[in-house]
Amino acid sequence: MADDAIMQPTRDPRATLPDLIEVLLNKGVYLNLDLIISVSDIPLIGVNLRATIAGIETMLEYGMMRQWDEDTRKWVQQSVRAHLPLAEDEEIIAKMAGGHYQDNFYRTWRPGSAYLTSQRLIIHRRDPAETLWQAKLSSIESITPLSEPSIGGEERIRILVRLDDGSESKLSALEPERLIRLVQEQRGAALQPSTGRVSSSSSQPLKQGRMWYLEALSGGGTWRGGEGTLTGHDLTWKSPMDSRALVRISASQVRNLHWEKHDNPTDKAHILFVETERSSIRLAADDIDGWYDELEQWSASEQQDPAVGNPREKTDEGESWH
Amino acid sequence: MTENSARHSEESGTIAAAPSKLYVYAIVPAGDYTPKVNGIDGSPVHLIGDTEGPRAIVHTHDGGPYDGADDDVKRWVLQHSEVVEDGWQGAGSVLPVSFNVIVRPDAESGATSTEQLEGWLGESKGALSKRLGELDGTSELRVEISLDRDTFVEANDEVRRIKDDMEGRPAGVRRLLEKRLEKTEKELADREADDLYPALRARIAEQCLAIEEYRRPARNAGKTPILTASCLVTEPGIQNLGAELTAIQNELTDTEIRFLGPWPPYSFADMSDSVADMSGPEAQKPESQEST
Repeated sequence: MADDAIMQPTRDPRATLPDLIEVLLNKGVYLNLDLIISVSDIPLIGVNLRATIAGIETMLEYGMMRQWDEDTRKWVQQSVRAHLPLAEDEEIIAKMAGGHYQDNFYRTWRPGSAYLTSQRLIIHRRDPAETLWQAKLSSIESITPLSEPSIGGEERIRILVRLDDGSESKLSALEPERLIRLVQEQRGAALQPSTGRVSSSSSQPLKQGRMWYLEALSGGGTWRGGEGTLTGHDLTWKSPMDSRALVRISASQVRNLHWEKHDNPTDKAHILFVETERSSIRLAADDIDGWYDELEQWSASEQQDPAVGNPREKTDEGESWH
Repeated sequence: MTENSARHSEESGTIAAAPSKLYVYAIVPAGDYTPKVNGIDGSPVHLIGDTEGPRAIVHTHDGGPYDGADDDVKRWVLQHSEVVEDGWQGAGSVLPVSFNVIVRPDAESGATSTEQLEGWLGESKGALSKRLGELDGTSELRVEISLDRDTFVEANDEVRRIKDDMEGRPAGVRRLLEKRLEKTEKELADREADDLYPALRARIAEQCLAIEEYRRPARNAGKTPILTASCLVTEPGIQNLGAELTAIQNELTDTEIRFLGPWPPYSFADMSDSVADMSGPEAQKPESQEST
């Protein structure tokens, strides 16, 4: 049989049971609770203390709390309380993956979840249960984004929190900007605005901002929102829904850079077409002209000065596969 | 807790006396589908909604939500999935409803749970039919590609240098070097995964109607995940995706590929308007995208 050589998906429950359970508890849950609760007023309960806690927490991550009915909210509060002690009148507002940078004897990122409640900002780890960091919202003097390189050189946005006692802490979060905004909303106007003030601990990106990427699927292309970042050594584009940057090219890889007329989610009629040896990349942005100028300079400088190598250059033969 | 009530749900299945609730498994399109399986703990399932529009597969439920020991939960979840699966195969398209979604009667208006659900199906008819149409004949496959660290770093100079350095050193120094070695290996593998990711995602996306990544809860020691995604495909798409993965596996011998499914399109049942037009998962939460 010719098909023998082609990889076949497995449905063997021995291999897939944990995946199936995860998908049924997580995927179905929040989609449909959200759907039903937001579309109509049918009182729904979707609770299983241990089994759906993951689903409930996922819903928290999606910020659906306010759409839930009283019973569901109460239940969520209870289930979160089971591992994270909350005050009587304290309500969970948002939750996302996050961490705290421990800066004493050991300097290390400690992962957990970032919880924003009506009273506190907390970094808490469920298992083994430990509150890694917390602060009363009223004690937060400022909360600002901080751009710094992570392992692998990619710029990541961290969160810098300054408390009224003068202390500073560094936090991470899956969606740092959203968390900062939520904290500011919760704190009201009392906090100093931090819009656009991304201070950098190392190389400042040449340009960074919201950007759309055209992804080719079997049924055609689809525009996806994300963030574009141009630094001295590479151009990356990453969606918050993806685990890694979907575009990662160095200036020396750019073969061609030109405008293209193409439907896109912005008001602009043109998009940017970047051709490399391995890929054809289509990008759109509100500020696409600015991006074009910046990219043109960036790729040109590389061509003039071939001595400036790509710092991410490989140390082995990893590219031979393509 | 609700444990007892859930346990006793099947014995007392009368509609008239106590105000019954409806446990919902899935939404199926109009047609002549009738369920061929029983639901959780053998509960007989039936359809709610008129024959013209989308219908819900349910069982009459008198208890609270299912809650119990892990093994019980696993069994219930699987029984739930069997009903979803039957709807998917029998009706051609399905919107899976997650575990433990229960509709209850409205005490204020006096509407029964059936009336409540019928009302909702009627109101959401347009959106439900549209999404069911889009998902017609599709399946979900899961693809997990990870880098086997040991194989990958074997040939790496830096790793070899640290290993050579460790030879004949005192135990304390060795421990320190071992830590450094592990960190270096992880960083190298992560960088390699970053480099491999764009092309791998593009090759896989080209075989899918939609693709959505998910985070794997438990990580395998010694493996660096490159891509972990749910793929929406049509029937021929399964073969195409399999062929692409075979090619990838042949080219990248230090990667490990898990290929699961086909399942009902669990990860693609999202009904929020912005996602229904397939404009990408970000559309769900535009608030997270504001640039500063």
